[in-house]
Amino acid sequence: MTIHSSPSPPGNPDKRALARGLIARIGEPRMLAWTAVAAVLVIWEVAVSVADINPIYLPRPTRIVAALIEMFRSDRLLVDLLITLGRIFGGFTIALIAGTLLGVWMATSERVNAIADNFIAALYPLPKVTLIPLFIIWLGTGGPFMLTISALGAVFPIIINTVVGIRQCDPGLVLAARDLGANNRQIVRMVLLPSAIPSIFAGVRLGLGVSIILVVAAEMLVGKFGLGARLYLAGQVLETEQVFAVLIILAALGIVVTKIQDAVDTWLSHWRIS
Amino acid sequence: MKQSGIAIACDGIGLTYATKAGSPIVALRDVHCRFEPGRVTAIIGPSGCGKSTLLQIARGLLLPSIGSLQYLDVANSKASSRPPRMATVWQAFNLFPWRTVLENVTFGLELARISGADRTTRARHALAKVELTGFENKYPRQLSGGMRQRVGLARALVMEPEILLLDEPFGSLDAQTRLVLQEQLAHLVDISGTTAILVTHSIEEAILLADTVLVMTSRPGRVAATIGVSLPRPRSLATTNAPGYAALFDQIYGLLRAEVLKAMAIEVEGA
Repeated sequence: MTIHSSPSPPGNPDKRALARGLIARIGEPRMLAWTAVAAVLVIWEVAVSVADINPIYLPRPTRIVAALIEMFRSDRLLVDLLITLGRIFGGFTIALIAGTLLGVWMATSERVNAIADNFIAALYPLPKVTLIPLFIIWLGTGGPFMLTISALGAVFPIIINTVVGIRQCDPGLVLAARDLGANNRQIVRMVLLPSAIPSIFAGVRLGLGVSIILVVAAEMLVGKFGLGARLYLAGQVLETEQVFAVLIILAALGIVVTKIQDAVDTWLSHWRIS
Repeated sequence: MKQSGIAIACDGIGLTYATKAGSPIVALRDVHCRFEPGRVTAIIGPSGCGKSTLLQIARGLLLPSIGSLQYLDVANSKASSRPPRMATVWQAFNLFPWRTVLENVTFGLELARISGADRTTRARHALAKVELTGFENKYPRQLSGGMRQRVGLARALVMEPEILLLDEPFGSLDAQTRLVLQEQLAHLVDISGTTAILVTHSIEEAILLADTVLVMTSRPGRVAATIGVSLPRPRSLATTNAPGYAALFDQIYGLLRAEVLKAMAIEVEGA
């Protein structure tokens, strides 16, 4: 197929140009992403009305949005959101600190590495949800349990990536730091750790995802508050609109986390040498 | 005029290191040499002869397996209680990629607990010396190879070293950049009377910069000859046309050629 640039026919040249401009705008990848979302929502709304589907199975998007607003206004959904966020990021912060420290220790001491190696090899591939019953027995179902589960989800990818990152550090940088007067401690803090940051962040990306999954799953199982608990309760009483509303919150959380991580990745481009 | 400062004397230094393959490698054997204050000493030799290793031993970053390293107070001609201040410029630059140009230069000053304002002033001064004013906030990846090495040079100079160590500083630069930087460094050496040890592959570079050239043998490295360079300073590219240059070049090349051939034979064996 060839594209002709034929002279525009007489009539409404302005309108045609406008239409063509609009189509071109929608065709842009950025616009297209949102246009697609909008299209799906419209089709969903119309299809549910036309086919007269029972809202218990599939409520209309407009009803879901109404339910969402209602939940925020009178049902204190914000409190549940903050509780869940607190659990996720509280546990994640613990994992970040503990995981980085242990990773540095493992990467710089052969003995520590030897001791930790088998435990990590055993625990890393284990699906962490399987540990939920055990931790309920040990810690109950309150805050400490939630923080532990969240930390446990994130800690292994962070440890492993910290070790890898430090081992990949250019030996020339260590030599240069030593030449400029750095002792071992300063080399860890000012060379090994910074040079491992891109790798540690890759671990953070993986770990935070697992933390989110685990906290929401644990809340669904035993939580009284939090998004997971709200989701599960709404499902129990067939409040499908509320189920969707919570899912939207979780999806939005996913988008925000992903975008922040992308921004951090861009900032980390300083670390690339060439 | 009597020189003051600290000399480094290597006495019968040898270095052997173990390899995973089994048989240990003798990198250096029975090295005797002296690095005098106020002079530039070039170490030249075939690949793998241990020149950079010798430099690291002189720096104190690597311990020799045998032999002794001494710091001598030249003015009183007795052992010095402290090693001289040294700073190294590296072939691979070894700049910290997450630090800006300025932050790279202040790295050693931070370690020396120099206050923030002082650090910045000194770093800016060092950057001005290598003509990098205006690039303080760039990251190393944003600079060309030649500029990166000037950052490396500023990072070493800012430490005000008594001995500047140059480990094939222009080895990973293109031929033209290399020429320009050689001339700039020669100028810097001329005006500051710096003590320096230069490890290089380039005979031209050695003659241009050094007062003394140590020619090393192939592995295990020893000092095959010590050659004085008395060409007048300031030196520049024009020095290569000066009377005496060609004879020096031939003399060093004559010593090196046989060793380079031997080194090539070792590499083939090892491969």
